[in-house]
Amino acid sequence: MWAKYRLEIIAVAAIVCFCGVFLYTSSLNADAEYAGSDTLGSSRAAELAGISEEDFQPLVPQWEPPSGEIESGLFALQAAVGGIIVGWVFGFWRGQKNRST
Amino acid sequence: MHIMEGFLPLQWAVFWWVLALPCLAFGVLQLKRILGQDREALPLLGVTGGFIFILSSLKLPSVTGSCSHPTGTGISSVCFGPWVTSVICAIVLLFQSLFLAHGGLSVLGANIISMGVVGPLAGWAIYRALRDTGVNMYFVVIFACAIADLCTYIVTSLELALAYPAEVGGFAGSFVLFMGIFAITQVPLAIVEGVVLALVFKYIVHLRPEILIRLKVFPEEKIRAAAGDA
Repeated sequence: MWAKYRLEIIAVAAIVCFCGVFLYTSSLNADAEYAGSDTLGSSRAAELAGISEEDFQPLVPQWEPPSGEIESGLFALQAAVGGIIVGWVFGFWRGQKNRST
Repeated sequence: MHIMEGFLPLQWAVFWWVLALPCLAFGVLQLKRILGQDREALPLLGVTGGFIFILSSLKLPSVTGSCSHPTGTGISSVCFGPWVTSVICAIVLLFQSLFLAHGGLSVLGANIISMGVVGPLAGWAIYRALRDTGVNMYFVVIFACAIADLCTYIVTSLELALAYPAEVGGFAGSFVLFMGIFAITQVPLAIVEGVVLALVFKYIVHLRPEILIRLKVFPEEKIRAAAGDA
Protein backbone atom coordinates (compact mmCIF):
# COMPACT_ATOMS: atom_id res chain seq x y z
CA MET A 1 0.00 0.00 0.00
CA TRP A 2 2.71 2.47 1.10
CA ALA A 3 5.08 1.52 -1.71
CA LYS A 4 2.43 1.76 -4.41
CA TYR A 5 0.60 4.88 -3.27
CA ARG A 6 3.46 6.70 -1.56
CA LEU A 7 3.18 9.80 -3.75
CA GLU A 8 -0.62 9.93 -3.49
CA ILE A 9 -0.41 9.78 0.31
CA ILE A 10 2.23 12.52 0.39
CA ALA A 11 0.12 14.68 -1.96
CA VAL A 12 -3.03 14.29 0.16
CA ALA A 13 -1.02 14.98 3.32
CA ALA A 14 0.49 18.13 1.77
CA ILE A 15 -2.94 19.42 0.72
CA VAL A 16 -4.49 18.66 4.11
CA CYS A 17 -1.56 20.42 5.84
CA PHE A 18 -1.96 23.39 3.51
CA CYS A 19 -5.69 23.68 4.37
CA GLY A 20 -4.96 23.17 8.08
CA VAL A 21 -2.32 25.90 8.10
CA PHE A 22 -4.72 28.23 6.28
CA LEU A 23 -7.56 27.60 8.76
CA TYR A 24 -5.21 28.01 11.70
CA THR A 25 -3.48 31.22 10.52
CA SER A 26 -6.73 32.78 9.33
CA SER A 27 -8.32 32.14 12.73
CA LEU A 28 -5.34 33.78 14.47
CA ASN A 29 -5.38 36.80 12.23
CA ALA A 30 -8.97 37.93 11.85
CA ASP A 31 -8.12 41.15 9.97
CA ALA A 32 -6.21 39.45 7.17
CA GLU A 33 -7.87 40.46 3.92
CA TYR A 34 -6.40 37.77 1.70
CA ALA A 35 -5.87 40.26 -1.10
CA GLY A 36 -3.84 39.15 -4.11
CA SER A 37 -0.08 39.49 -3.82
CA ASP A 38 -0.18 41.27 -7.20
CA THR A 39 -2.36 44.00 -5.66
CA LEU A 40 -0.10 44.27 -2.61
CA GLY A 41 2.95 44.48 -4.86
CA SER A 42 1.34 47.30 -6.83
CA SER A 43 0.52 49.29 -3.68
CA ARG A 44 4.08 48.84 -2.48
CA ALA A 45 5.38 50.08 -5.85
CA ALA A 46 3.11 53.11 -5.55
CA GLU A 47 4.46 53.81 -2.05
CA LEU A 48 8.05 53.57 -3.25
CA ALA A 49 7.34 55.80 -6.22
CA GLY A 50 5.64 58.29 -3.93
CA ILE A 51 2.49 58.64 -6.03
CA SER A 52 -0.97 57.23 -5.46
CA GLU A 53 -2.02 54.01 -7.10
CA GLU A 54 -4.74 55.69 -9.15
CA ASP A 55 -2.12 57.86 -10.83
CA PHE A 56 -0.55 54.88 -12.54
CA GLN A 57 -1.81 55.00 -16.10
CA PRO A 58 -1.76 51.95 -18.37
CA LEU A 59 0.87 52.36 -21.09
CA VAL A 60 -1.31 50.30 -23.39
CA PRO A 61 -5.10 50.75 -23.09
CA GLN A 62 -6.58 47.78 -21.31
CA TRP A 63 -10.00 46.18 -21.01
CA GLU A 64 -10.98 45.32 -17.47
CA PRO A 65 -13.66 42.84 -16.51
CA PRO A 66 -16.56 45.06 -15.35
CA SER A 67 -17.06 43.07 -12.14
CA GLY A 68 -15.48 40.43 -9.92
CA GLU A 69 -18.17 38.01 -11.10
CA ILE A 70 -17.10 38.33 -14.71
CA GLU A 71 -13.45 38.08 -13.74
CA SER A 72 -13.97 34.88 -11.75
CA GLY A 73 -16.00 33.47 -14.64
CA LEU A 74 -13.13 34.08 -17.03
CA PHE A 75 -10.68 32.50 -14.57
CA ALA A 76 -12.93 29.47 -14.34
CA LEU A 77 -12.97 29.35 -18.15
CA GLN A 78 -9.17 29.34 -18.20
CA ALA A 79 -9.02 26.47 -15.71
CA ALA A 80 -11.74 24.60 -17.60
CA VAL A 81 -9.82 24.79 -20.88
CA GLY A 82 -6.78 23.31 -19.14
CA GLY A 83 -8.89 20.67 -17.42
CA ILE A 84 -10.57 19.57 -20.63
CA ILE A 85 -7.22 19.15 -22.41
CA VAL A 86 -5.66 17.25 -19.49
CA GLY A 87 -8.69 14.96 -19.12
CA TRP A 88 -8.89 14.34 -22.84
CA VAL A 89 -5.23 13.32 -23.11
CA PHE A 90 -5.27 11.04 -20.06
CA GLY A 91 -8.40 9.35 -21.42
CA PHE A 92 -6.75 8.99 -24.83
CA TRP A 93 -3.63 7.41 -23.28
CA ARG A 94 -5.69 5.06 -21.15
CA GLY A 95 -7.62 3.94 -24.19
CA GLN A 96 -4.39 3.32 -26.12
CA LYS A 97 -2.95 1.37 -23.22
CA ASN A 98 -6.04 -0.81 -22.76
CA ARG A 99 -6.15 -1.65 -26.45
CA SER A 100 -2.50 -2.65 -26.58
CA THR A 101 -2.66 -4.98 -23.55
CA MET B 1 3.48 37.32 -10.02
CA HIS B 2 1.72 39.64 -12.41
CA ILE B 3 3.08 43.11 -12.60
CA MET B 4 0.02 45.25 -13.32
CA GLU B 5 -0.31 47.29 -16.50
CA GLY B 6 1.27 50.70 -16.11
CA PHE B 7 3.38 49.70 -13.12
CA LEU B 8 6.62 49.48 -15.06
CA PRO B 9 8.14 52.64 -16.53
CA LEU B 10 8.42 52.50 -20.31
CA GLN B 11 12.18 51.82 -20.41
CA TRP B 12 11.84 48.78 -18.13
CA ALA B 13 8.80 47.47 -20.03
CA VAL B 14 10.79 47.68 -23.26
CA PHE B 15 13.88 46.14 -21.64
CA TRP B 16 11.99 43.01 -20.50
CA TRP B 17 10.22 42.71 -23.86
CA VAL B 18 13.58 42.78 -25.62
CA LEU B 19 14.80 39.96 -23.38
CA ALA B 20 11.59 37.96 -23.76
CA LEU B 21 11.24 38.01 -27.54
CA PRO B 22 14.33 35.93 -28.44
CA CYS B 23 13.33 33.37 -25.79
CA LEU B 24 9.91 33.06 -27.39
CA ALA B 25 11.35 32.81 -30.89
CA PHE B 26 13.71 30.07 -29.76
CA GLY B 27 10.83 28.31 -28.01
CA VAL B 28 8.68 28.32 -31.14
CA LEU B 29 11.54 26.84 -33.20
CA GLN B 30 12.14 24.15 -30.60
CA LEU B 31 8.44 23.36 -30.40
CA LYS B 32 8.30 22.91 -34.18
CA ARG B 33 11.31 20.62 -34.11
CA ILE B 34 10.01 18.44 -31.25
CA LEU B 35 6.54 18.07 -32.76
CA GLY B 36 8.01 17.44 -36.21
CA GLN B 37 10.11 14.58 -34.87
CA ASP B 38 7.48 12.94 -32.72
CA ARG B 39 3.74 13.51 -33.07
CA GLU B 40 3.23 11.59 -29.83
CA ALA B 41 4.78 14.52 -28.00
CA LEU B 42 1.68 16.60 -28.75
CA PRO B 43 -0.58 14.94 -26.12
CA LEU B 44 2.22 15.30 -23.55
CA LEU B 45 2.49 18.97 -24.44
CA GLY B 46 -1.29 19.18 -23.95
CA VAL B 47 -1.09 17.75 -20.43
CA THR B 48 1.85 19.85 -19.28
CA GLY B 49 0.42 22.99 -20.90
CA GLY B 50 -3.03 22.20 -19.50
CA PHE B 51 -1.64 22.24 -15.99
CA ILE B 52 -0.16 25.69 -16.56
CA PHE B 53 -3.67 26.86 -17.55
CA ILE B 54 -5.26 25.22 -14.49
CA LEU B 55 -2.73 26.06 -11.80
CA SER B 56 -2.11 29.64 -12.86
CA SER B 57 -5.83 30.38 -12.50
CA LEU B 58 -6.03 29.14 -8.90
CA LYS B 59 -5.51 31.88 -6.36
CA LEU B 60 -4.71 30.26 -3.06
CA PRO B 61 -4.51 31.82 0.40
CA SER B 62 -1.20 31.71 2.19
CA VAL B 63 0.24 32.17 5.65
CA THR B 64 0.94 35.85 5.06
CA GLY B 65 -2.78 36.67 4.88
CA SER B 66 -2.65 37.30 1.16
CA CYS B 67 -3.38 35.19 -1.90
CA SER B 68 -1.20 34.07 -4.73
CA HIS B 69 -1.25 31.50 -7.48
CA PRO B 70 1.03 28.62 -8.42
CA THR B 71 2.58 28.64 -11.89
CA GLY B 72 2.47 25.00 -12.99
CA THR B 73 5.50 25.51 -15.22
CA GLY B 74 7.88 22.97 -13.66
CA ILE B 75 6.55 19.80 -15.26
CA SER B 76 6.55 21.33 -18.73
CA SER B 77 10.10 22.48 -18.17
CA VAL B 78 11.18 18.99 -17.10
CA CYS B 79 9.55 17.35 -20.15
CA PHE B 80 10.26 19.94 -22.85
CA GLY B 81 12.79 22.38 -21.43
CA PRO B 82 12.35 26.02 -20.47
CA TRP B 83 11.95 27.58 -23.94
CA VAL B 84 8.89 25.59 -24.98
CA THR B 85 7.45 26.41 -21.56
CA SER B 86 7.99 30.12 -22.31
CA VAL B 87 5.71 29.83 -25.34
CA ILE B 88 2.86 28.23 -23.36
CA CYS B 89 3.27 30.79 -20.59
CA ALA B 90 3.13 33.59 -23.11
CA ILE B 91 -0.26 32.29 -24.31
CA VAL B 92 -1.64 32.08 -20.76
CA LEU B 93 -0.26 35.51 -19.84
CA LEU B 94 -1.65 37.05 -23.03
CA PHE B 95 -5.12 35.67 -22.21
CA GLN B 96 -4.86 37.09 -18.70
CA SER B 97 -3.67 40.48 -19.99
CA LEU B 98 -6.45 40.79 -22.55
CA PHE B 99 -9.43 39.46 -20.61
CA LEU B 100 -8.63 39.51 -16.91
CA ALA B 101 -6.65 42.74 -16.45
CA HIS B 102 -3.96 40.62 -14.78
CA GLY B 103 -0.77 41.97 -16.20
CA GLY B 104 -0.97 43.97 -19.41
CA LEU B 105 0.50 44.29 -22.84
CA SER B 106 3.35 46.64 -21.91
CA VAL B 107 4.37 44.54 -18.87
CA LEU B 108 3.81 41.23 -20.67
CA GLY B 109 7.53 41.00 -21.48
CA ALA B 110 8.44 41.28 -17.79
CA ASN B 111 5.79 38.73 -16.82
CA ILE B 112 6.99 36.31 -19.52
CA ILE B 113 10.54 36.64 -18.21
CA SER B 114 9.50 35.81 -14.63
CA MET B 115 6.92 33.07 -15.19
CA GLY B 116 7.99 31.78 -18.58
CA VAL B 117 11.76 32.10 -18.69
CA VAL B 118 13.67 32.41 -15.42
CA GLY B 119 11.31 30.26 -13.31
CA PRO B 120 11.29 27.34 -15.77
CA LEU B 121 15.02 27.79 -16.39
CA ALA B 122 15.77 27.50 -12.65
CA GLY B 123 13.55 24.41 -12.34
CA TRP B 124 15.18 22.90 -15.40
CA ALA B 125 18.66 23.55 -14.00
CA ILE B 126 17.77 21.68 -10.79
CA TYR B 127 16.31 18.83 -12.84
CA ARG B 128 19.36 18.61 -15.10
CA ALA B 129 21.71 18.60 -12.13
CA LEU B 130 19.82 15.72 -10.47
CA ARG B 131 18.57 13.77 -13.50
CA ASP B 132 21.43 11.30 -13.79
CA THR B 133 22.07 10.97 -10.07
CA GLY B 134 20.59 8.35 -7.75
CA VAL B 135 17.99 10.81 -6.42
CA ASN B 136 14.41 9.53 -6.69
CA MET B 137 12.82 10.65 -9.97
CA TYR B 138 9.65 12.00 -8.34
CA PHE B 139 11.66 13.91 -5.80
CA VAL B 140 13.55 15.58 -8.64
CA VAL B 141 10.21 16.64 -10.17
CA ILE B 142 8.91 17.97 -6.82
CA PHE B 143 12.08 19.96 -6.33
CA ALA B 144 12.20 21.31 -9.89
CA CYS B 145 8.52 22.39 -9.83
CA ALA B 146 8.80 24.08 -6.43
CA ILE B 147 11.92 25.96 -7.47
CA ALA B 148 10.36 27.03 -10.80
CA ASP B 149 7.38 28.42 -8.89
CA LEU B 150 9.44 30.19 -6.25
CA CYS B 151 11.96 31.67 -8.69
CA THR B 152 9.13 33.17 -10.73
CA TYR B 153 8.13 35.24 -7.72
CA ILE B 154 11.71 36.12 -6.85
CA VAL B 155 12.14 37.50 -10.36
CA THR B 156 8.91 39.51 -10.09
CA SER B 157 10.33 41.05 -6.90
CA LEU B 158 13.57 41.77 -8.73
CA GLU B 159 11.79 43.41 -11.67
CA LEU B 160 9.76 45.69 -9.39
CA ALA B 161 12.78 46.47 -7.21
CA LEU B 162 14.82 47.51 -10.26
CA ALA B 163 12.06 49.86 -11.34
CA TYR B 164 11.37 51.18 -7.81
CA PRO B 165 14.57 51.37 -5.75
CA ALA B 166 13.84 52.53 -2.20
CA GLU B 167 15.03 55.99 -1.16
CA VAL B 168 16.80 54.42 1.80
CA GLY B 169 18.54 51.17 0.89
CA GLY B 170 18.13 51.53 -2.87
CA PHE B 171 17.56 48.46 -4.98
CA ALA B 172 18.42 45.97 -2.19
CA GLY B 173 16.03 47.67 0.21
CA SER B 174 13.05 47.46 -2.08
CA PHE B 175 14.01 43.95 -3.24
CA VAL B 176 13.64 42.80 0.40
CA LEU B 177 10.26 44.56 0.62
CA PHE B 178 8.95 42.93 -2.57
CA MET B 179 10.35 39.54 -1.58
CA GLY B 180 8.31 39.85 1.63
CA ILE B 181 5.15 40.26 -0.45
CA PHE B 182 5.82 37.78 -3.23
CA ALA B 183 8.31 35.12 -2.20
CA ILE B 184 7.28 34.35 1.39
CA THR B 185 3.62 34.00 0.40
CA GLN B 186 4.74 31.59 -2.27
CA VAL B 187 6.72 29.08 -0.16
CA PRO B 188 3.80 26.86 0.97
CA LEU B 189 2.18 27.09 -2.48
CA ALA B 190 5.41 26.04 -4.17
CA ILE B 191 5.71 22.93 -2.00
CA VAL B 192 2.13 21.82 -2.65
CA GLU B 193 2.51 22.55 -6.35
CA GLY B 194 5.67 20.42 -6.49
CA VAL B 195 3.97 17.44 -4.87
CA VAL B 196 0.85 17.67 -7.03
CA LEU B 197 2.83 17.95 -10.27
CA ALA B 198 5.00 15.00 -9.25
CA LEU B 199 1.79 13.00 -8.91
CA VAL B 200 0.80 14.06 -12.42
CA PHE B 201 4.24 12.98 -13.61
CA LYS B 202 3.73 9.59 -11.97
CA TYR B 203 0.52 9.04 -13.97
CA ILE B 204 2.27 10.02 -17.19
CA VAL B 205 5.06 7.53 -16.38
CA HIS B 206 2.50 4.78 -15.83
CA LEU B 207 0.39 5.48 -18.90
CA ARG B 208 2.92 6.56 -21.52
CA PRO B 209 6.51 5.81 -20.44
CA GLU B 210 7.61 5.47 -24.11
CA ILE B 211 7.19 9.20 -24.79
CA LEU B 212 9.28 10.14 -21.76
CA ILE B 213 11.94 7.66 -22.83
CA ARG B 214 12.02 9.01 -26.39
CA LEU B 215 12.28 12.58 -25.15
CA LYS B 216 15.04 11.36 -22.77
CA VAL B 217 13.34 13.02 -19.83
CA PHE B 218 14.96 10.55 -17.43
CA PRO B 219 17.32 7.60 -18.05
CA GLU B 220 15.38 4.72 -19.60
CA GLU B 221 15.99 2.24 -16.78
CA LYS B 222 14.64 4.69 -14.18
CA ILE B 223 11.43 5.24 -16.15
CA ARG B 224 10.97 1.53 -16.88
CA ALA B 225 11.50 0.65 -13.21
CA ALA B 226 8.97 3.29 -12.11
CA ALA B 227 6.43 2.23 -14.77
CA GLY B 228 6.76 -1.39 -13.67
CA ASP B 229 5.74 -0.51 -10.12
CA ALA B 230 2.08 -0.19 -10.93
